[in-house]
Amino acid sequence: MKFLQVKTLVFFSGVATLVALAMMSISILYPKPLLLVLAMSLGQGIGILSLALYLLAIALDLQSGSAFASLPESEVAPEPEEQQPGPGE
Amino acid sequence: MLQIHSTEELLKLVALGSAAAAAAIILWYLFRRPHLHRPTKVLLLIGLGVLPGVVSLTGNIAGFEYTLSRPFCGSCHVMSPYLRDAEDPESKSLAAIHSRNHRFGENSCYNCHADYKMFGAVTTKLNGMRHLFKYITDYANTGPDGEGGPTIKLYKRHDLEEKRMTEEAFNAHMNGICMQCHSTRSAIWVEKHGDFADGLRAFQAVCIDCHSDIHPLALSRRVAAGKEAAK
Repeated sequence: MKFLQVKTLVFFSGVATLVALAMMSISILYPKPLLLVLAMSLGQGIGILSLALYLLAIALDLQSGSAFASLPESEVAPEPEEQQPGPGE
Repeated sequence: MLQIHSTEELLKLVALGSAAAAAAIILWYLFRRPHLHRPTKVLLLIGLGVLPGVVSLTGNIAGFEYTLSRPFCGSCHVMSPYLRDAEDPESKSLAAIHSRNHRFGENSCYNCHADYKMFGAVTTKLNGMRHLFKYITDYANTGPDGEGGPTIKLYKRHDLEEKRMTEEAFNAHMNGICMQCHSTRSAIWVEKHGDFADGLRAFQAVCIDCHSDIHPLALSRRVAAGKEAAK
């Protein structure tokens, strides 16, 4: 479960950073008042949020002793299912 | 060959280069989805933290530098008449004369209209945010030169009228702008201003009381001229 959390957080962090970079780049290429204000507020806010998401993902990964995220998906052992009581038990 | 003519251009180049590098790292991760080993984590930290930080810092400085320039001030259509006059080589207005001075150069609007005290740059930009809000709410759908919108009032004049500022403080602010360059001590200046010199230095009179032809195409003047013509 944590493996998926880490991967998802890093994915969203990447997408959010791309959005932030696009906003900041547009304001550099076309420095209009509204675009500048948006880039300096919303763009940078999204950028900070995405970095926070990434740091959270790393913290989760470290908490689990780097056991999940560094492994390929196929090698991550599924969580143990609850044992069904046998017919004689 | 790429040529860089100013610090602003260099900063923009650094910002765009960093943005491209960060985007390349992120896209590589999103498409390849490699395992999060330590080298990948470090690379992602560079792509998600360090490089966007560089983009943000250099972009902010380049953006701030650009906001000081006349083309930026003129990018709202309400400012077009002011811009046309300032850039008219034949104009004798105060704004045009100062804009032709290479010491003012491209930043002639900012040099006269900015607050010049300790936090002048900050208060000026905060006031600029108010201008942007006013532009969106009051002027966005006005005529090509802002016709039909409310009359533009310089904010210090407005503060004086609303009694948020004493007359002395207003005079000190207005004359302080001029006195950043005009020391009021040169022999020619003293000779020309005669009895007014002491009053101007003591902020009992304002330079623009006499030198009033600042922005002849200002909307407020055109409204007044229209009313005069109607009479």
